[in-house]
Amino acid sequence: MHQFELHGVSRGCKAASVNLEVRSISSWRTQRHCVISHISNMTSVSLHKMAENTGALLIVLPKSFATASSKEREVLSDIEVHALSSEIDIPIYFALWTPNIEKILKDIDGGSSPDKGSSAWDAMVHSFSSNGYQIVINANKPYPKNDAMITSVQGKLPGLGVEEKLPTIVIVTHYDSLGVAPDLSHGADSNGSGVIALLEIIRIFSHLYSNKRSHAPVNLVFLLAGGGKYNFQGSKKWLEDQLDVTDATLLQDVHFVLCLDTIGNDDIYMHVSKPPKEGSNLFELNKSLSSVRKSEVNVVHKKINLADEILAWEHERYSIRRLPSATLSSMKNHKDPLRATVADVADTINPATLARNIEDIATALARYIYNISGSSQALSSHMTVDEEVVKTWLEFLCSHARAAPLLSDKNNPLVKSLVDTMNRFLSDVKTSTLVADKRDPDFVFYDSSQATCHIYNVKPALFDLFLTVLITAYLAVVYQLIQNMPYIYEFMVPSIKKLKAQ
Amino acid sequence: MTLYHFGNCLALVYIPYHLTYKYSGLSEYGAFWKCIQAGGIYILTQLCKMLILATFFPTSDSTVHGAIDTVGEALKATVDVADVFGLYLVLSGIPGKGHAKLLTAGLGWAGAEAVLTRFLLLWVGARGAEFDWKYMQKSLESNISLVQHITTGTLVWLWTRHDLKKSLVPIVSTMLLLAAYRTFIIDLLLSSDICTWTVLSIKAGYTLCLAVPTLKIYAGIAASIGIF
Repeated sequence: MHQFELHGVSRGCKAASVNLEVRSISSWRTQRHCVISHISNMTSVSLHKMAENTGALLIVLPKSFATASSKEREVLSDIEVHALSSEIDIPIYFALWTPNIEKILKDIDGGSSPDKGSSAWDAMVHSFSSNGYQIVINANKPYPKNDAMITSVQGKLPGLGVEEKLPTIVIVTHYDSLGVAPDLSHGADSNGSGVIALLEIIRIFSHLYSNKRSHAPVNLVFLLAGGGKYNFQGSKKWLEDQLDVTDATLLQDVHFVLCLDTIGNDDIYMHVSKPPKEGSNLFELNKSLSSVRKSEVNVVHKKINLADEILAWEHERYSIRRLPSATLSSMKNHKDPLRATVADVADTINPATLARNIEDIATALARYIYNISGSSQALSSHMTVDEEVVKTWLEFLCSHARAAPLLSDKNNPLVKSLVDTMNRFLSDVKTSTLVADKRDPDFVFYDSSQATCHIYNVKPALFDLFLTVLITAYLAVVYQLIQNMPYIYEFMVPSIKKLKAQ
Repeated sequence: MTLYHFGNCLALVYIPYHLTYKYSGLSEYGAFWKCIQAGGIYILTQLCKMLILATFFPTSDSTVHGAIDTVGEALKATVDVADVFGLYLVLSGIPGKGHAKLLTAGLGWAGAEAVLTRFLLLWVGARGAEFDWKYMQKSLESNISLVQHITTGTLVWLWTRHDLKKSLVPIVSTMLLLAAYRTFIIDLLLSSDICTWTVLSIKAGYTLCLAVPTLKIYAGIAASIGIF
């Protein structure tokens, strides 16, 4: 399970190695049992009870997230929210469904202990023949990664004219994912969809900007921020880099900062910290997006809670620094569990919807930039987002678990390929890395995010004794046979009469 | 499971060998060294077999397409005839008379096989935490192969005798072939997805079918030439 510290608060669970007897969720008794359970049998209440009283917990995820029942989803998100919000002492592991695990689950469910067995004989037979399981997980004790870094990638499309005097639009999205198990958090929607949107918008506008006639006098800055699930560390660092230096030119005249977060569903909401005034840039953008989508794009206003260290949306990072900013998202509420779940996999997203959303956002941006207010579709030929491309990107992004601790090493191939893609379309691509402060770290990542689990089929000790008795009996028979070999031989020897006849 | 289970399996494999050695009169002849010699020849034979297999039968992907390449497997099984030749060497090399000679050859041969193929398997497998009937079955199987090897040895001996009755020669030859191709025939008869206990009992039955007639023929010839 995921373990990390954010602002000095530990979350997740600490211990790692397991060597315990396996029990089902209904039959565990003591700390010496490891409970294996399917997710549908769990509740957050039972999770808490087990977290206090068992030795370890192995939760089996549903066969496929796309076809999981709504109850399973509910329970899963419930558990994830609970587990990620507190520190847990026992090791909790999550396993994907396999036929083998299903068999074990059935076995331990069926063969629950016969403590109230009907007769002594039953109990005895059971103690001879029962199938026990022993679970062994060899994992290193998780250590904090000292050199964990969060990488952000920034690229720019300079507008037509003198670059320093042009207004700037910043488009931001984070690329990491969060889930209860880092190696299982593929984050297709949150925030793979944002990354795809950003890359597609980059492609479209680099195409537009390469043509003199459609080269707009607006700078476009794109930021692929890391650590988005860890209080938007990547954006924070980038802002500090841009604003706190003396000759800050890049963010001098910002029209708005647009963050893209989880846009894989039908609806799109615009989240702001301050309602945009009529005539302001964000208001215009909202208007053009509404007209592109032919339906009102709702503005959700949520004040920044300065008392809470954890920010709700990425744009709040920018709003704090007094940059007009908004987040586009399919989520209405920042507390939606979909933003941090292992159930967020590629199957659950419809590429067509995502492609349409991206197209809408790109068109709205273009309309805003070129100041087109009518319903003309002049740009539409450049603006199409191919569903196949979106699908390919989705598959690529979801083939890696993108939890920030897994991407925190130098030269991570995934980050590198993202950089390469941006390099293809943008000039001036820079990566900036953020390493946590040694003394008072904002975030601490731990290594050993996954382990191999061995479940052994074991027999009770009595069974061994029983086997010894059987073997002894068998050997006695063999002994008798060898002892009596002469008699058998005698029997085989033809009678004297017959010999004489020969 | 662990060490205790390992001990169980070990007892099941090796105590029958010990009993055979002890109570069939071999210990009175002091045939221990001869058994070791037979074992040595077993090792040499296996080396030769491996060399031949590696040289003439490069790993073919016979089972990739699901169907087993019967002809290729049969050719490979032909190499097992080397076992028969090895046993012949043992028999001609060991001085001695009658039952003791055959028993020594068979026991030494089977013993070497049991030590070389089973011990490591059990050491690695049966000591683990996982319980599996497989190891019990392997142990029982090596008991069967003890009988099998003694039978094969006897058949080889019978085959080399000149005073064997003419009418018995084809029977002995057939049985010798059946014994040499035993693994192949059993593999051919059984597809791989049959319960392992059934396989084991079929092997036992097969061996018994060979062993009883062999004993009968041997008893006849032994009586006629005066070995008791």
